[in-house]
Amino acid sequence: MESLSHAFKERSVHALKDETLQVALHRAKDGFAVKRAKAVEGLPEFDALRDRAVAIKNHTLEHLDHYLERYADAVERSGGTVHWASSAEDARRIVVDICRAADAKMITKGKSMVGEEVGVNGALEEAGFEVVETDLGEYIIQLAHEPPSHIIVPAVHKTRGQIADLFHENHAKYGLTRKLSEVPEMVNEARQVLRSKYLAADVGITGANFLIAETGTSVIVTNEGNGDLTCSLPRVHIVTAGIEKVVPTAEDASTLLRLLARSATGQDMTTYTTFSTGPKREGDPDGPEEYHVVLIDNGRSTMLADQFREMLRCIRCGACMNHCPVYGAIGGHAYGWVYPGPMGSVLTPLSVGLKEAGNLPNACTLNGHCAEVCPVRIPLPDLLRTLRHREYQLKLGLKPLRWGLAAWVWFTAHPRIYRIGTRVQARMLALLAGRKGRFTRMPLAGGWFKGGRDLPAPQGETFMAVWKRRQKDSAR
Amino acid sequence: MSDRDTVLGAIRRGLGRGPLGSDARAALDRRQGATDSDPLLPGLPHGPLAQIFRAGLEKVAGTMSEIASLDAVPEAVAGYLAGHGVALEAAVAPSLGALDWSAAGISASIGSTRGDDLTGISLAWRGVAENGSLVLLSGPENPTSLNFLPDHHLVVLRSDDLVPYPEHVWSALRERGEKGWPRTVNVITGPSRTADIELTIQLGAHGPRSLHVLLVD
Ligand code: SF4
Repeated sequence: MESLSHAFKERSVHALKDETLQVALHRAKDGFAVKRAKAVEGLPEFDALRDRAVAIKNHTLEHLDHYLERYADAVERSGGTVHWASSAEDARRIVVDICRAADAKMITKGKSMVGEEVGVNGALEEAGFEVVETDLGEYIIQLAHEPPSHIIVPAVHKTRGQIADLFHENHAKYGLTRKLSEVPEMVNEARQVLRSKYLAADVGITGANFLIAETGTSVIVTNEGNGDLTCSLPRVHIVTAGIEKVVPTAEDASTLLRLLARSATGQDMTTYTTFSTGPKREGDPDGPEEYHVVLIDNGRSTMLADQFREMLRCIRCGACMNHCPVYGAIGGHAYGWVYPGPMGSVLTPLSVGLKEAGNLPNACTLNGHCAEVCPVRIPLPDLLRTLRHREYQLKLGLKPLRWGLAAWVWFTAHPRIYRIGTRVQARMLALLAGRKGRFTRMPLAGGWFKGGRDLPAPQGETFMAVWKRRQKDSAR
Repeated sequence: MSDRDTVLGAIRRGLGRGPLGSDARAALDRRQGATDSDPLLPGLPHGPLAQIFRAGLEKVAGTMSEIASLDAVPEAVAGYLAGHGVALEAAVAPSLGALDWSAAGISASIGSTRGDDLTGISLAWRGVAENGSLVLLSGPENPTSLNFLPDHHLVVLRSDDLVPYPEHVWSALRERGEKGWPRTVNVITGPSRTADIELTIQLGAHGPRSLHVLLVD
């Protein structure tokens, strides 16, 4: 997917003014946090399991080459084919080639974030295939021609009314004549339309939440059952997965699964956890004839080399964005790429470059909520701070900010001048603010005051001056 | 260089080392999972497994009835369907094909479904008490399509096949030896649901709208 992250500021301002979006975001915010907290409370072992999860992921990443080889060998033994993609371009080409070789016309897709990352849909459509997303949220945003705004609930930014309009526009060809208004009838409408697609599809593409090295198995979790219809009805099943998804055994996957649903939706367990190993066996009445796995690097191997290896523990639960005040205010689209929120602010600059996405790590209050809730204990604020530092060193930051910081550094290195300066400033500002004691305007900082904010004026004395005076008074 | 070598080479560069030696690899293969230790299992509530299983299942809007023997299954199914106003027709897994369905007034078509059956009836391989999950294995006797296409999914589970944790399922699969893992292992916890429209939970998104377990003693 092409990045729009350079326009982060403008997109954020736009998002803050979008009233429909604000309604949708408001609804989402507390719901997720409360549900997660309840689910975590119900599992006293949650924190101990997090430590296990960290150990599982760290060990596997440390020996990633070994476990991927074991995994690939096991897939081949079960009759499947493994493809290795270094880049997004490789991944797109491989998927298109498999679909061409299968002589496919229609392709159904289960939700796959790495699929979004490498742009599978665009490549397939360009090659002339009909591609249908089957996760209800993904289907809605496909109708709207929008990218996902959340990694778990892709259409969380849409209101019921907007979805009714989308169905009204797009489902006339399936015989829908009236505008729907209730959630059950909308879900039913999508169910009916997508049924025919599942049954007609030649290829089904899903992601993978985990890959099991021991058995060569790919694991997907869905609540709707769309992933299962996608991977069991068509002739060909393609799995797209990042190389970091592998774990040694099914037991390791179970540990991570205990954390995933609780962190994501507050469920103890997602409805359907499905383990696929190879194509259908002799005598099986259903299941695909071909099973392909595309293992995608696309920058992940580089992340192994430094501090950002920690980011590869991510199990894409979405808890960090559900607890982020910035995400809660602007939603996912403002971030401009596939992954939003705190995890996206780390991944996007690493993937599309700091020049393009250098603003994302700055859009963080460093309140630390994301790291607190992350099931695999990724130190997101630390990683964001490192990226800020890199951005500064690359001299990519805003010029006024850089000058301001440079001036401040000089002043703090000269304490005496600094003190004189602040004394004069405090007095001047107190005089300028007059009797109100507050500023509502200020030259060079117009943006800050937009939307009715004001700023208290200094009282006329610096902290150091007050401190010294008090010291003297008490000495007397 | 093959694509496989290219990606593995990039990974080793990232890790700052060359390929592992055969001793190191053998040591990794001997490990019991990533942490090389017994899994950390959450405590379960006290009581019989069937009771814990039922609590998990009901928490996710599944239902369950307990019946005395396998032979009584068709009668129980007929009762359930009549109680829900559903026609006495069903696609039935071959593993349950020998039961006397017609005696209970059910017209059963044995085998997989292409989506025109309102009711599907399957046999579970295991039931997991921890979350009230059913484990179904694909195979000639157990078509996967029955688990997803019908509106109502009825699953027969023998009480002897109840285990406390999914970890017991993985070790049992290992013990199958040669046969190992089938193409599909479905772990099913409740009926299909979605919260994709305004985060409102709605049952029956793409899969079954209702899930009923028949626990056979
Ligand atoms: S960074 Fe942590 S909290 Fe955020 S999606 Fe990944 S695993 Fe979940």
